[in-house]
Amino acid sequence: MRTAHPRPLRLSRRASRLRALVALAGHGVLLLITSSSALAVLFIFFYIARDAVPFFQLRGLREFFTSTHWYPSRDPAEFGALAIFVGSGLVTLGAALVAVPLGVLGAVCLSDVLPFSFRQIVKPVIEVLAAIPSVAYGFFALVVFAPLLQSRGGTVLMIGWWCLAGPLAALALFVLSDLLTARVAPGRGSSWARVVVAVLLTPGALLLLVWVGQHLAQVQVPSGANALNVSIILGIMALPTITSVSEDALQAVGRELREGAYALGATRAEVLVRVVIPAAASGICAAVILGLMRAIGETMVVWMASGNAAQIPQPWYNLLQPVRTLTATIAGDMGEADHVTGSARYHVLFAMALALLTIAFICNLVSERVIRRSVRRHG
Amino acid sequence: MRLGTRKVLDRSFTGLGSFSIVLVAAALVVLLAPIIARGATAFVFRGTVEYRRMMRAHFDSGDQAAVEAEVAAATAARQPIYDALASFEQKLPGYPAAQRRAYRESLDDLKTNLRTLLGPLPGDPPPALVRDAYGQTRWDRAQLKLRQILYVQTWDYGPDGQQQGRPVFTPRVNEFKGTAVEPIFEYLPTHLADLLRPQLTFYWRFLFDTAVDAHFFGGIWPEVLGTLYLTLGAIFFAVPMGIVSAIYLVEYAGENWLVSLLRSCISTLAGVPSIVFGLFGLAFFINALHVSPAKSVLTGSLTLALLILPMVIRASEEALRAVPRTFKEAALSVGASKWHAIVTVVFPAALPGILTGVVISMGRAAGETAPIIFTAAVSAGPALRIWETLTQPTPALPWNIYNLCTEHAAVDEIRHVQYGMVLTLLALVLALNGAALVARARIARRLSR
Repeated sequence: MRTAHPRPLRLSRRASRLRALVALAGHGVLLLITSSSALAVLFIFFYIARDAVPFFQLRGLREFFTSTHWYPSRDPAEFGALAIFVGSGLVTLGAALVAVPLGVLGAVCLSDVLPFSFRQIVKPVIEVLAAIPSVAYGFFALVVFAPLLQSRGGTVLMIGWWCLAGPLAALALFVLSDLLTARVAPGRGSSWARVVVAVLLTPGALLLLVWVGQHLAQVQVPSGANALNVSIILGIMALPTITSVSEDALQAVGRELREGAYALGATRAEVLVRVVIPAAASGICAAVILGLMRAIGETMVVWMASGNAAQIPQPWYNLLQPVRTLTATIAGDMGEADHVTGSARYHVLFAMALALLTIAFICNLVSERVIRRSVRRHG
Repeated sequence: MRLGTRKVLDRSFTGLGSFSIVLVAAALVVLLAPIIARGATAFVFRGTVEYRRMMRAHFDSGDQAAVEAEVAAATAARQPIYDALASFEQKLPGYPAAQRRAYRESLDDLKTNLRTLLGPLPGDPPPALVRDAYGQTRWDRAQLKLRQILYVQTWDYGPDGQQQGRPVFTPRVNEFKGTAVEPIFEYLPTHLADLLRPQLTFYWRFLFDTAVDAHFFGGIWPEVLGTLYLTLGAIFFAVPMGIVSAIYLVEYAGENWLVSLLRSCISTLAGVPSIVFGLFGLAFFINALHVSPAKSVLTGSLTLALLILPMVIRASEEALRAVPRTFKEAALSVGASKWHAIVTVVFPAALPGILTGVVISMGRAAGETAPIIFTAAVSAGPALRIWETLTQPTPALPWNIYNLCTEHAAVDEIRHVQYGMVLTLLALVLALNGAALVARARIARRLSR
């Protein structure tokens, strides 16, 4: 039996051509919308650069990058941004010191060490850290942490030292005593030797801890709004990015590698340190870059709690002094420069934004390259 | 290496890892605890009679007769203080000149402090600022002020005047020994509850009241509303564009140089610092396109939309890729065109995942400050009506948190408002993220089934 189709199955030539045309047009519209959202970044570059170039025409390149005299409202004005660049770098370095060890260790723990049920608890913690708005971090840094640092700076430093160094020293003692006895008394029955060595080493370690702790307790913090405060907070802010991206990289390392290493008799730590982490190194590298990008680009925390003094700390690694960063300068000075659109003072902020944008662009490029290379290697 | 040593190293490595996780969790607790604990005091606190008087006058809340009765009782309890001050002032001309001057100075200082505690004294001209028209509205602040009345604070800079200053407190009563004012210092601490009549107050309208006199009194409704406008505006612009882009990238784009350029543009956009978005919004939307004559909610929303666009694209891409190929193939096999298959089959299947991403980006847009500084935010203003958002700037939670805790004239007096704002913003953002988390768990369960 034949049923009559309401429409012929095969389209006429004209209809099929029309259909192809419509599909092509739809494709074009989609491409247009997609490219307009992607080209936003080119627009950003163009519009920031357009307002940045007049500054360099007015003042040249040399002063901006080499002088530390930042007096934009003085007459004659000076626009040396070196100290501000150093401030941004210093704060980012401090954030890296906090975030990289914690973040990478945390990622290793999440991907390989912790049991699954525990992981389900820790992951939301990290997601919450990532979700907290930057102004809330800034508020904490300014209203809670800075006064604490100012009134009891020494004590805070000492407690921090004990919290960090205490467990680490205990671990080191544990390992060291074991290593030493392994040389001296190999074979069975060496556990008593281990205990003896550990007991012998303990006073030395304690002495070192107490000595450094006492020195830190004497430290006077002139102002709670300083680079240390900001570094710690920025480190915590960069942590979620570093942890989650490194964890992805560690997960991407195949089971075969891990199982091969275990089959050779390696312990879990050996598998992780010798095999998995080197295999994921490029991904971890990208994670660190992405995390630090967040620290460089962060505005509110540094604006509120870094002290905003355009100076290079003396000596340069002294984190207890106030600093000023690029982002905070843009945010803080725009209000005053706003009504003098067209002056060097207005354009210098765009020059800083251009510098930030360039840094972000390079970091992004590098991290993307690194990730792509690792993907190619591991398939 | 001995096996034992290797085991020890293994265990210490595990210990190190767990230690770092513990530190991260501790950081979260340390961060959230003060914000939640003190933020709650914006909503639940012990309000004094001054608070109820203020609420009656400015927000029309509370029972008129009850408030009046309470004010009368409080005034009666305050009368001895006012009497003591008056009688001392009467006797003042009788003292020798030098002592009179010293007394006059001390008395003026005391009166200033009493005004901040109890409100205007009898015979004062009506104050110009609303904040001066009332005493302390909160019991915790009142106790702090009482301490300032009882003790004079001076600073000790060490014998050579070079050290970091330490506060030194001396009893103020010493300045008035043997005068009519002396009993006040006995009376105040013992009768403070009668003077101010504290009551546990639950001020849920903190969220929905407008501020009075630069946030001294009242709530944060204009800020909350501004944040909602900005967030919804950003979502309105970013989501359609983001979803269409994601559909193109997943379903249509091949592997050519143009597509890879687009992809790296999008990932660069994700890495642009937020303050640069702010400057761009100013230079492009306001100065170049003249979307609005000056800052407005519209330009702020557009800027925020750009900021969250990469997040929306990425989340939608992931959700679309997670839809099994078989869905689309089934649709194509029954004769649907490609577009038809995407719109009716693939997109609905991916929708929960897309919405999760959208909700997370909403949280991000709500909390961002830097992009709206130059494009949308003002420190003070009324709650806007919806059509005013096209041209008017608005107060917004993130910006006003910054503004209140750095640029406000009396930062310490309004800590509770600052904490309340931070808590509100945090609650908003974390609620959005929590919803996304739950939704994601559900989707994962459904897909695995």
